[in-house]
Amino acid sequence: MKISDYLKKEFCLMDLKAVNKEQAIREVANCLTVNGKIKDKEKFINDILERESLGSTGIGHKVAIPHSRTDVVDGFAIGFGRSKEGIDFKALDGDKVNLIFLMGANPSELNLYLRLLAELSRLLMENSFRRELLSANTGEEVVDIIRKYEASGIVR
Amino acid sequence: MSSIKNIAVSLSGSAVSMCTAKYAIYLARQLNAKLYAIYVVDERSLHELLKTRIFVEIEAVEYERDLKDHGLNLLERVRKIAEIKKVECEGLLLKGVIHEEVVNAARELPADLLVIGELKEVVSRREIFYDEGERIFRESPCPVVVVKNPEEVERLYRELEQ
Repeated sequence: MKISDYLKKEFCLMDLKAVNKEQAIREVANCLTVNGKIKDKEKFINDILERESLGSTGIGHKVAIPHSRTDVVDGFAIGFGRSKEGIDFKALDGDKVNLIFLMGANPSELNLYLRLLAELSRLLMENSFRRELLSANTGEEVVDIIRKYEASGIVR
Repeated sequence: MSSIKNIAVSLSGSAVSMCTAKYAIYLARQLNAKLYAIYVVDERSLHELLKTRIFVEIEAVEYERDLKDHGLNLLERVRKIAEIKKVECEGLLLKGVIHEEVVNAARELPADLLVIGELKEVVSRREIFYDEGERIFRESPCPVVVVKNPEEVERLYRELEQ
């Protein structure tokens, strides 16, 4: 049960056109919808924005993880978007966000969702992991970087 | 008489949990043992997500409540199907670090046998340290049965007299 089991190169957008949070979420959500991971894009976006209204998922270090449990996803879905200019997510450190992981899970996948979120948060604590994602050129490279760090010997 | 009196089964809450439970029920019936079904609310992941601020407080509280409800429902389902097969089953809802709680429960019961779901393929050293199933398997104080082959488990379970 790893992020790389779910994030495919097709779900990675290397150059987001979005200039604000909602546009960024829409852009990645659209990619997941086109690839058949979301059954109702508008409902999905609403669920994500509803969660955002509780507090920004811009967690600092140029990273945001907008997420929600939602019944318009079967199982688990994750997409990646990178903004070169950066997007104001009202992040905790005040910085703009360049790396966005958009995640949704069916409410029945409670344990899976929790563990994948925790797994991603662990990976994102690594400076070098974030640096490599910022300089990746393709979706394939993003997935390879994630695989590499999943397989590394980082131990709690 | 079998020397295996207490069997513990660790339920992850995943799709394979019922299959794991059914094999544990099968073993308990064959060995005339008492079954203890264990579900652990994954507090470590919740704490990590709060610490990294991916979760806000209200969200973590909601998840913890839902995980607890999920566990209670699962344990009750297992208790009921065990009862149908004439196996005494007690549910243990715990919270904390999953592998630590399961291993401690197995030690304290004490369990003579611990049943767990199929382990995923380990592709890295990191997974040996991170995967809860893997750590339960390695740290268990008693022999561990890893359930495989769901079709065969279903057949064995169905063949048990009610």
